[in-house]
Amino acid sequence: MVTPDLAVDVGTVRLKNPVLTASGTFGYGLEFLPFLKLSELGGIVTKGLSPKPRRGNPPQRIVETPAGMLNAIGLQNVGVDAFLSEKLPALREHDTAVVANVFGETEAEYVEVCEKLDGAPGLAAIELNVSCPNTEAGGMIFGNDPAALARVTRACRRAARMPLWVKLSPNVTDIREVARAAEAEGADALSLVNTFVGMSVDVLKARPVLANVSGGLSGPAIRPLAVWMTWQVRRAVQVPIIGMGGIMTARDAMEFILAGATAVQVGTANFVAPRAAVDVAEGLAAWLTLHGIGSIRELTGTLR
Amino acid sequence: MPHRMVQDFATPVLRNVDLGRGNWLLEFPAEGVAAAMRPAQFFMIGVPGSDVLLRRPFSVCGLPGTFADRPDGAVQILYRVYGRGTALLASLRAGATVQVLGPLGRGFTPPSRPDARIVLVAGGIGSAPFPAFLAELERSGRRATMIYGARTAGDLPLLDWFRERCDGVSVTTDDGTLGARGVVTDPLAEMLQDADGGRVHVYACGPSPMLAAVAKATLAKGVACDLSLEAPMACGFGVCLGCVVPTRREGGAIAYERVCVEGPVMRAERLAW
Repeated sequence: MVTPDLAVDVGTVRLKNPVLTASGTFGYGLEFLPFLKLSELGGIVTKGLSPKPRRGNPPQRIVETPAGMLNAIGLQNVGVDAFLSEKLPALREHDTAVVANVFGETEAEYVEVCEKLDGAPGLAAIELNVSCPNTEAGGMIFGNDPAALARVTRACRRAARMPLWVKLSPNVTDIREVARAAEAEGADALSLVNTFVGMSVDVLKARPVLANVSGGLSGPAIRPLAVWMTWQVRRAVQVPIIGMGGIMTARDAMEFILAGATAVQVGTANFVAPRAAVDVAEGLAAWLTLHGIGSIRELTGTLR
Repeated sequence: MPHRMVQDFATPVLRNVDLGRGNWLLEFPAEGVAAAMRPAQFFMIGVPGSDVLLRRPFSVCGLPGTFADRPDGAVQILYRVYGRGTALLASLRAGATVQVLGPLGRGFTPPSRPDARIVLVAGGIGSAPFPAFLAELERSGRRATMIYGARTAGDLPLLDWFRERCDGVSVTTDDGTLGARGVVTDPLAEMLQDADGGRVHVYACGPSPMLAAVAKATLAKGVACDLSLEAPMACGFGVCLGCVVPTRREGGAIAYERVCVEGPVMRAERLAW
């Protein structure tokens, strides 16, 4: 039997398979070594990196909701310098595409992190987090406003020559507007979607469950919303799309791929089962074999 | 490092015993991990095919040898039905399958001083990690005193088991239905009153307000105190960053540390409550 060809090209970034792990759900990758080989994945996307380490929000930070979860971690991370000196050298040992997710409170902070990361050996791409709903000075202000998103994308495009992906917020009236703005300013690919802003109330205490009041909703609950946005954006831009939102299985990943995503990211499922992303990749291979399809690329955007 | 030995495995339920008032004891085989597991380490447990998304954390209650006559390789968890996850667990019967990740976190370590007086403080279902710990202490010829509190008499699971194995169990209940009316820090304060602080080691597990009070009481007396913490968590192995507690770094700066990796057992003085 012919081994199915899972390789995809996200712009100039070649992935051995279309499955990456979503930022904030996979640490810095190394945490998963007891469970899987990173080389089994198309790529990994790091926790959002800021110029300085951030300690994040006070607890309670997470709560399960119907078919999903809310989180308000607040971008706790080691900072870009520690990532470059401690995490990236260790990641380089593994044959997978490493994508650094970048977060700033101001345009200047985004630029600072991008400049430090640009061209770092072993790094495949930068993903701009313009859509985190959980910080006060929030990246989301960039993600909500096409003009602000255009400015930060332009600035980061100038700061970094390496492939630049922009991760879009779904908390907008029309996601096609922000998608077009990012594409026009030179984004090489669009990742979508980040979490939906939500809130959960402890009715006995009459207080919000999360200390941050609101949090980002992820998990299967958001999958139909994310597939719909993938489909809308596919018809609005030319650049590749990396689709995500509640992917638990290969079947779920197929929804995004058929709707137009070149690659996918697995997020919340990594918490439920540490090998979830590998299982999705293996499931896609099995799907191709079962249907006698030679390459996953033949399926991208072929929704009838 | 225990992390090297973490396994994710499906295993059948051997027994799921109703202890009354929402308290249950679940037993399943865990041959591959039981030998390497420490008391107060924990499992993430899920039910395949259910519509509960995330697994739930449960500290190990019984390791092989903890409870007499239980099968080799079987482990037990003691839990209380509180929400959807635990209600689902309580619905399982022998033969059902659970998906288990573990062992996780850092467990209890016996006091290094061989003459230390060991005091266990449990609040309700917070007694869960103590059977395995007591069995381990017993094997090395050590004994412990216990303070066991709850809201009411029915909320003291395994009380008779503890009474057989401890040098005295001081019971407190909020409503006075068993033992002294009051809270665990009442008998604890008495015990620490005339104790030689350097010789006492307190281990506590229970609701956060109780742990904060135990921490305060022991710190005031310079008594060593290990707390087994609980927090909502999505993954259990250090990546979701959902389960953090505020801790004090050298110099007084506040950090957030993960209950699942840096804990669940933490020294009382580290916590910045």
